[in-house]
Amino acid sequence: MSAAGQDQEGSSACSSCLRRSWLLAELNAALEYLCRDRGRLGELLGLGDEELLRALAGRRRAELESSYARFERADLHQMPGAQEVCRHHRSYPSALRDPGGPRMLNVAGGVERLRGLAAAPTVAIIGSARATDYGVEMARSIARGLAASGVTVASGLSDGIAVAAHAGALEVGAGSLAVMPGGLDVACPARRRSLYRRVTRAGSAVAELPCGARTRRFGEVAGERTLARLAGLTVVVEAHDSPGELAGARLADALGRTVAAVPGRVTSRASSGTHVLLMEGAHLVRGPEDALELLCGPNGPGAHASNAARAELEPRLRTMLEKVGAGSDTPEKLTADGEDAGAVLLMLSELELMGLLARGDGGRYLPRYALIE
Amino acid sequence: MLARAHTFTIEGLQTRHVTVEVDVRPGLPGFAIVGLADPAVREARERVQAAIHNSGYAFPARRITANLAPGDVPKAGPSLDLAIACAVLAASGQLPGERLETHVLFGELALDGEVRACQGTLAVAQATREAGLGSLVLAAAHASEARLIDGIDVITVAGLRSATRVLEGGSGDALPEHPADGAHALAMRPPGPDLSEVRGQHHAIRALVVGAAGAHNSLLSGPPGTGKTMLAQRMASILPSLSRREAIEVTRIHSITGELVGRLASDRPFRAPHHSITAAGLIGGARRGWVGEVVLAHNGVLFLDELSEFARPTLEALRQPLEDGRVAIVRARHSAIYPARFMLLAATNPCPCGYAGDGDRCGCSETEMTRHRRRLSGPLLDRIDLLVHLGRDCLHDLNATPLTSSAKARERVAMARERQAARLSKHGVMVNAQMDVGMLQRYVRLDSRSEAMVRSARESGLLSARGEHRVLRVARTIADLNGSERVRARDIGGALALRAEASLAGNRAA
Repeated sequence: MSAAGQDQEGSSACSSCLRRSWLLAELNAALEYLCRDRGRLGELLGLGDEELLRALAGRRRAELESSYARFERADLHQMPGAQEVCRHHRSYPSALRDPGGPRMLNVAGGVERLRGLAAAPTVAIIGSARATDYGVEMARSIARGLAASGVTVASGLSDGIAVAAHAGALEVGAGSLAVMPGGLDVACPARRRSLYRRVTRAGSAVAELPCGARTRRFGEVAGERTLARLAGLTVVVEAHDSPGELAGARLADALGRTVAAVPGRVTSRASSGTHVLLMEGAHLVRGPEDALELLCGPNGPGAHASNAARAELEPRLRTMLEKVGAGSDTPEKLTADGEDAGAVLLMLSELELMGLLARGDGGRYLPRYALIE
Repeated sequence: MLARAHTFTIEGLQTRHVTVEVDVRPGLPGFAIVGLADPAVREARERVQAAIHNSGYAFPARRITANLAPGDVPKAGPSLDLAIACAVLAASGQLPGERLETHVLFGELALDGEVRACQGTLAVAQATREAGLGSLVLAAAHASEARLIDGIDVITVAGLRSATRVLEGGSGDALPEHPADGAHALAMRPPGPDLSEVRGQHHAIRALVVGAAGAHNSLLSGPPGTGKTMLAQRMASILPSLSRREAIEVTRIHSITGELVGRLASDRPFRAPHHSITAAGLIGGARRGWVGEVVLAHNGVLFLDELSEFARPTLEALRQPLEDGRVAIVRARHSAIYPARFMLLAATNPCPCGYAGDGDRCGCSETEMTRHRRRLSGPLLDRIDLLVHLGRDCLHDLNATPLTSSAKARERVAMARERQAARLSKHGVMVNAQMDVGMLQRYVRLDSRSEAMVRSARESGLLSARGEHRVLRVARTIADLNGSERVRARDIGGALALRAEASLAGNRAA
């Protein structure tokens, strides 16, 4: 711990790290502009305070330098329930201590809990905000399986895959780790408030920027860099083939973390990005079992419960499940070859009640688990 | 000299008894009508004067006051003409007054003395019987409507002369009338859209038959061009015909609004208002006595196409009629309760662009989807029993054989409805959709396997308490369609597969 640490009781962050956080919020506009070039942003965030000021302050440099010199803890916006922790504190996740990582975090849900979550094997489940129902269901089931096996699920809190990952972890009552793009109190859109509260009740939400800081793109990019460091394994569930949606995976790869991707249909644009990753050598993940194997090796705590349930199915239900998995996923398609409609609906409902099927968009049924035999 | 005649005025769907008192006194010639008369009644002055002259009577050149009692009930429409004219004749000594006490006079007068039919004849006939008055004198055009009511003497007249003849003890005119039972009209009607014209969409058709059989509120969801509207328009063709009691209720409403005259309604009403409709247009009460679409859909179907385009207050206003089967309208100086027990049939796109669940075509963001869902959820989805998804990928070859025809489907629906009525009519309920919790416990007998399914659905959080009731109602209907007294697993399975959820898009995260 540095000599500067612990200068105020109750906070686990030192003044210099708090000042860094304050400075990032002040330079928000310039960073927002620059974050289009992700590589350059990474370099900039690795700079020391003075160099950063010199590089980005522009015309405000003199003003910012004087406020910087006179910085006090009270300059930061406070939020009840949020705690600060900096890299000089023992509770700070060790994965974030390398030079490019964030200097401090604002934590909702408690610093000690964050430490516990980050100490467990961590998987980042990331992907497109415009996910299809397939992606949502896969993210959910992978998160559910991983969380049930004691793995920490980490993700952002934007739309699509990220939300599904948290929802999956919450289904088994496990805490998950949410990396927020801006300040803890403003980064969360209103419709995510209830999810945010549920996440912070069992898990933890962290933000690099101080409370009250609003960002658009820069926060997301900075969040990716935190997420990639926190997780030993990054699973991309569904992503379009665009630099923005694949950035998290690229960053994790550059940091030497394991990157895995969930395949989709090759005809679907929504999975085009994950297919590119797979071609570039990312590991293929079909379900939580595969992710656990990547994380803990082949003899780790495998979660084969879903397959056990499948093996015990009556033959008619198993055939039905396989048909749905193969793409005959609506009652209309399933009865097209003259099968008894009542029997088909009964089997679909039975499988749904067993938790093996879920209803997706447009009346389609989705298998909730990958076919792994 | 004073004379008194009886007639009825209509306010909303209610009839109010009106006594027309006419006093003729010496004085400056004049004709005044008092008693909250609207312009159409005040204009009766001119029509009555001309009709009396042109029928060969003398209009008394004295001071005439016509009072429409009770004085605090507003009177509307031209239907009081005949009663006023006869009372004037009686008060001036040109007509004996005794029979005016027992006859209800209902009709508008033409200037030449001809009696014209007015809207709401059936309601007036009912009110005549309830008021204990024996005879109803009216024009021939709507007389068949009045003849649907037993226990009153319906006398048709062509003109004022004939009416006075009746009041002097003579008989009415024998004039040609429409047959009232509607069989004639039914035979004449061009065949409407038929289910046999639909190719593919077998799942949706089966679901619609279930909806029709139990009068379950249904929502069709699917991308543009999959046949939501096409199927909805065929709903009317598979509904069973009205029972006599229902037919009289429907005829009464539609005869007052003037949409159906002179015969008993034979088809269930099918109302499809455009989505620009206001809450007042849907429920009623835009002005005094205005009847909304939900009332016109009583005993029939209210079809709301493009459900998400309706204004939120309009949809909110549907809560009460969906729950209670009636609307209570309260405005500044009047209030009314109208019957509105209808089956709601709605169609919507699954998302703003319409292509959610259809591969990559949907370009809607999560925010747009949320907004779309929020528009529908809450007030309505809570009251929808059946959610029917139509997919683009199930479009069949246009030469394929259709699943069924309307006639066959209607037969099955009618059979299922008979079973329901036999079971439920002692509770005053005709269809499964209206079963309350007590009836559910009593009549939805589950076998052990279906019991286990319902329990597991409840425990896994798939069904809320209300959702469970809806599933049980639908399962009861499916069992009725299959002719089974017990609700079996496949009935519950079907009901579960068709259940509506809090969100349209299945169980999307958060």
